[in-house]
Amino acid sequence: MKSKFLFVILAVMLVFGGNALGATVGKVVSIGGQSSDLALDEARGVLYVANFTANRVEVINLSDLSNQTSINVAAGPNSLALSADGRYLVITHFSNFVAPASSTNGLTVIDLTTSGRQTFALGNPPLGVAFGADNLALVVTTQEYLLFDPVSGTTQTLGTIAGVTAKTLPVPPANFPPDITNASMAVSADGLTVYGLGSSTGTFTFKYDVLSKQVGPGGIVLSSGVLGPRIVSLNQDASKIMAGWVMIDRQGTFINYFKAKTNEFSKGTTAFDSQRGLLYAQIPAVAGELPVLQVTDPDNLNVFEKWQLSENFTGKSVMSSDGNFLYGVSESGVMVLPVGSMKTIPRVTASVEDLVFRGSACTSGAPAQQFTVSDPGGNRVAFRISAPAGVTVFPSSGVTPAVVNVSIDGSSFGSQKGTTTLLLTIQSDQAINVVPPVRVLVNQKDPDQKGTFLDIPGTLSDLLADPGRNRYYVLRQDTNQLLVFDGGSHTKIATLKTYNSPTGMAITYDGRYVMIGHNGSQAVAIYDLDTLQAQPYINAEAGAGNEAHSIAVSAKAILAAAVDFQGKGHVIQLDLATRRAIQLPSLGAFSNDNISTTTVAVGTPNGAAILFASADGSTALYDSNAGTFSVTRKDFKALNGAYAASSFGQYVVGSTVLNSSLTPISTLKTDTGNTASGFVFVDNVGFRTTTPGTANPGIIQRVNLANGTLSANRSTRMVESPITSTTGFTRTLALLYNRTAIINLTTSGLTILPWEYDASVAPPQLTGIRNAADQSKPVAPGTLVSVYGNNLSPVNVASSQIPLPTALADSCLSVNGLSVPLIWVSPTQINAQLPYQAIGNVTMTLKTPGGTSDNFNFTVQPTAPGVFNIIRQSNQLEVTDTNPIHKGDTLDIYVSGMGQTSPIVDAGYPAPSDPLALPLVAPTVKLGNAALAVRSYSLTPGQVGVYQIEVFVPDNVPPGLNMPLQINQGAGSTLLAVRVVD
Amino acid sequence: MKMNGVVTMLAGLLVLAPAAAFGQKWEVGGGAGGGFYTSQSITNPTAGNADAKIAAGPAVGAWLAYLANSHWGGEIRYNLQMGDYMLTAGGNQARFSGATQTVNYDFQYHFRTSEDAVRPYFAFGAGVKHYQGTGNEVVSQPLSKIALLTKTNETRAVASFGFGVKARIGTNWQLRAEVHDYLSPFPSKVFTPNVGSKVNGWLNDIVPMVGLSYIF
Repeated sequence: MKSKFLFVILAVMLVFGGNALGATVGKVVSIGGQSSDLALDEARGVLYVANFTANRVEVINLSDLSNQTSINVAAGPNSLALSADGRYLVITHFSNFVAPASSTNGLTVIDLTTSGRQTFALGNPPLGVAFGADNLALVVTTQEYLLFDPVSGTTQTLGTIAGVTAKTLPVPPANFPPDITNASMAVSADGLTVYGLGSSTGTFTFKYDVLSKQVGPGGIVLSSGVLGPRIVSLNQDASKIMAGWVMIDRQGTFINYFKAKTNEFSKGTTAFDSQRGLLYAQIPAVAGELPVLQVTDPDNLNVFEKWQLSENFTGKSVMSSDGNFLYGVSESGVMVLPVGSMKTIPRVTASVEDLVFRGSACTSGAPAQQFTVSDPGGNRVAFRISAPAGVTVFPSSGVTPAVVNVSIDGSSFGSQKGTTTLLLTIQSDQAINVVPPVRVLVNQKDPDQKGTFLDIPGTLSDLLADPGRNRYYVLRQDTNQLLVFDGGSHTKIATLKTYNSPTGMAITYDGRYVMIGHNGSQAVAIYDLDTLQAQPYINAEAGAGNEAHSIAVSAKAILAAAVDFQGKGHVIQLDLATRRAIQLPSLGAFSNDNISTTTVAVGTPNGAAILFASADGSTALYDSNAGTFSVTRKDFKALNGAYAASSFGQYVVGSTVLNSSLTPISTLKTDTGNTASGFVFVDNVGFRTTTPGTANPGIIQRVNLANGTLSANRSTRMVESPITSTTGFTRTLALLYNRTAIINLTTSGLTILPWEYDASVAPPQLTGIRNAADQSKPVAPGTLVSVYGNNLSPVNVASSQIPLPTALADSCLSVNGLSVPLIWVSPTQINAQLPYQAIGNVTMTLKTPGGTSDNFNFTVQPTAPGVFNIIRQSNQLEVTDTNPIHKGDTLDIYVSGMGQTSPIVDAGYPAPSDPLALPLVAPTVKLGNAALAVRSYSLTPGQVGVYQIEVFVPDNVPPGLNMPLQINQGAGSTLLAVRVVD
Repeated sequence: MKMNGVVTMLAGLLVLAPAAAFGQKWEVGGGAGGGFYTSQSITNPTAGNADAKIAAGPAVGAWLAYLANSHWGGEIRYNLQMGDYMLTAGGNQARFSGATQTVNYDFQYHFRTSEDAVRPYFAFGAGVKHYQGTGNEVVSQPLSKIALLTKTNETRAVASFGFGVKARIGTNWQLRAEVHDYLSPFPSKVFTPNVGSKVNGWLNDIVPMVGLSYIF
C-alpha cells in the first residue's frame, strides 16, 4: 500500500518534473556531467549512472530520484554493467588519449556487498561491457572480445576484432559520450544474448550467445555508413533487437526501420516494453527537432502515440522490472518516464481520424458532425482547436471530455465539385502528447458525378482485387496495415499487420498468398488469403540490403523492384520456397546495377510477362516463357502515374499505350492539366482514371484497346478524385473478379462504382405519394411518406445517419423548394419525411443523375393519421391475429401523419424527450364503437416522424376477429381492423 | 358464469341423493391417468385445411360418489387435463400450451352388488368442460391463415360415457380402473377459425385413469 502510494507520488512528480517548455513528460536528474551508461539495481533501490566527463558513478535513489552518492572512479567511465546476481558492478574506462597524454583504458570491478574495488588495465579502448545470465561480463574493445569473471578477476579472450576504430581524445567541445565512444552494448532481459555496436568510421555489430559463449557478427555491417543513435536495445528473448534506427530479428533480417532519421549518435534512445508489447523510441527525424518519444508497435513500428519529452535522451534506456518506469541516459544525466502511470498524465485524443461532410446538388453544405476530445486516462485537460476557413468548430476550446460540433459553410465549398481536404488542429498546453489533427473531408458533387465514396483514413499506397474471391485489398501505409474488404458489402473484414511502410503488393500466381513489399523493411510480408493468417516472410535483402518496393508475379518468377542500402535500384527475384531473394545478376542482356529507385512492376494476368516502368522514363519487360528480360527501352524523359499490363500484349504507363515490344503505340488523350492515376485491363477494353487535382472530380473512362483510342462519350465524372503522384506511380483502380464493381483509391479513401456506371439514365417520373404507415392517400406535414415512380434512383440505398440526409445515392427530393429528408431510395420508391412546413397544395420534384422530374402536385392535410403498428404493453409485441388485443390491455399505437407539433421539430431530426413534441390536434380512439381512454400522445422521442398514442382497452370492448379500430384527429381519420379477445 | 350454474346444479343433485340413499355407503377418491383427443379438421377454401386437436397429456381426477342401491349409484367428478393445443397441416405445426377442466355428473350401474369385492360398472352423464389457452402469444403463428390458437377461456357442455371396475382392498378402501369418453362441441374460441375457415363436429377425449377411493 505504501509503495503504491509512493509510486503514484513519484509518477505525478515525473509528469512535469523537467525543465519543460509547455507540457512534457520526464523527470530530469542532473548529474553535473555527461552520462554515458546506466544500470538498474532494484534490489538496492538505486540506479548507477556512468558520469563520463566527471569520472564518477552516480548512485541515484529510485524512491526520490535524488543523487544519493557518487563513486569516484578512473577516467572515462563509458560503460557499466551489474552482474546477474547483483553483486558486482563492472565499469569500463575509455581513455584513448593521443600522445603526449597517455591512454588509461581500463576496467573497474566494485563488489557491492563489501565495497571492495579492483581496477584492471585494458590494452585497447573498451566499447562497452554487459553481463550475461552466467555472471560473466563480456567486455568488448576495439581489438578483442574478452570474457571477464568478476569473482576471480580473470579474463578470457573469446576472439579478435579487426577494422574497428575508436576516436582519440581529446575531442572538440560539445560532444556527448556516444559521439566519442561511438558504441553501445545491451543484454536481453533473459540474460542470454548480448548485442553491441561500435566503430567511429562505420558501423560494426556483434552478437554474443551467453550459453555457448560464442561471438558472431551482429548482422549489420556498414563499412562507410553510420547508424545513429548509438543505442542498442533487445526485447525479452532477443528475438527483436534495435540497433540505432534498425530492428533486426533472430535471422538477422532488417524487419523494420525508421525511415526518417538524422543518424546523430547522441540523440535518442530505444527500449522494449515487453509487458505492454511496446517499443519506445526517440529517433530524431530532423536535426534540431524538439525531443519526442514515439510509442510504437514492435512488430512494425506503427506509431501509437508521440510524447513530448523534457529533454533529449542521449543513450541507453532500461525498463524497471515492474514496467512502471523507463530510465534513460539524457542530456542532463538521467531522465525518468512514468510509463506505468500514463493514465494520470494529461493527454488529448480525438475520437475520429476523419470527419466527412457530404453535400450535393440538392443542398448547400452538409449536416453538422460531432466528435469527442478526451483524455485516455479520464483526466480533465484543457484543449483548443484551430479550424480552417469555411469550417466552424464549437466549442473551439474546452476541457476533456468534450463533444465538439463541426459544421461547414456550404457557400465556401459550393463551387468545388470534389473533395476538399482540411485539417482541424488540436492543441493543448497541458497534454504531453502530440495530438494528431482531424482530417475534414468536404465533398460537393453534381448529380452526374458517379460513385459512392467510403472514408478510409490515412495514406493508402496500393489497391488490388483478388482474382478469385469477391474481395479487394488496400495497403494503409501510415499505420502499416493490409485492409481486406468484402466485394459485396464493401465492408472491411480484416485488418492485418504488415511491416513498416508497405508500398506495394501482389498475389501469387496460384492465388493463395498476397505478398507485400515495404520501404521501411527488408521483409516481404505474406498472408494466406484463405485463412488470412500471416506466413513466414521472404527476406528481400538478397546480399545487398534490398527492400522490395513493388512486386509482380509471372507464371515463372516473382520479381520485385527493389532498392538496396546504398540507394541503388535493382530487380530481385523472390523465392517462396526458401523465403529468400536473389538480386538478378543482369536483366538478360542488360545491367541490373542501378535502375531507378522509383520503379514499379506489374504482371500480366495470364502470367506471361512482367512490366517494369521507372520514373527516369525507362521500361523493361520480363518474358516468362524465355525466363529473362526480353526488352528494355528508354523512350521517355520521365514516367509516372498509372501502370498496367494486359494478357493481350498491351501495356499502359501514364497515358501511353505500349505494345508487346514496349514500343509506344498511342497516347491516351488526357485533358490539359490532368494526371493519369489508375488503369486496369479487362479483356480487350480498359478502364482509366485521371484527375486535374485531388480536390476535383476524377474522370473515369473506358478505353477501346482495339485501336488504342478512347471510346467516344464514355468519360464520366467521379464523386471525387483518384489519388495521384507527379513523381511516382499509382495503382488506384481495381475490378472485382465477378465484374460487379470498380474500386478506386480516392481522396477520402475508396470510391465504388457499379460496373455499368456509365449506362444511360432516364429522367425520374413521380406517379404517387402515400402515407408510409398504411399506404393511405392522405398525408400531413411531417408524414413519413412513400413516393412512387420510375427511375427514382439508380440503386437501392438506405440512410444510416440521423438526422436524415436530404440527398441519398444522387437522388434529392423537394416540396415547394424545401429539401425532403430521405430514408431510403430505390428505382421505383423513395421513403422520406415531408417537411413540417409543407401544407395545402404543394409541388414535389425529384433530381437524379438522369435529370429533374416533372412537377407532381398533391394536397397536404393538416392531419392524416396512418397506423404503423400497435404494441401491447403487456408483452411488448405487435398486435396481430395471433397476438390479439385483450380487454384490460394498454396499447401503444404508432402513427405517421399527425401533423405539426409543439414544440416544432425539424423534419429529419429525432423527436425530443423533454419536452415531448405534442401534435397540435388531439386524437380520439374507438375500438368496436367503444371509446378507448387516450392516456398520452406525442412524437416518439428519438425517432423521426413517428407519433405514439397510448390507450387503455376497457372491458366493454366487444371481442371479435375483425373489430374496427378508428383514430380521429381533426378532419383526419384512419380505420383498421384488429382482433379482440376476452 | 355459465359454468358456475352447472356446478350449482350438480351439487344440488348430491345434496338430494343422500336422502334417497340413506344408509348406503359413500365413496370419495381420486385418480390419475392420461387424456387422448381425437382431431377435427378446420377447412379454409383458400388457405387449405388443418387438423386441430389437443395433444395427449396427463390427467388427474377427483370424485365423490354414492350408492343408491345394490346396482345404481352416481358421482360428481372433476378432471384436470394438460395438453397443448395443436394445429397441423402439410408438415407445419402450431402449438400453444393449454389445459382443460371438466366437472360432470355420472350415473353408474354396477353389474354386481355392493357385497362383491370386484364390481364392474358403466357410467354415463353430462357436465361442462372449460378450455384454457395458456401459451405465450406471439406475433405470428404457423397456419394462422386457417385458425388461431388463442390465449383465452372457453366453456363447453360435455357428455360423458365410461366403464370400469372397482375392487375392494379392505374395509374402507377400494381401487378403481376406468375409461371415460368426454364428448364436447369443438372449442372455437381457443381454436379460432380465421376469416373464411369452418370447423364442425365434436372433440372426443378418451381418459383412462386408475384411482383409489375411501368408502364409508
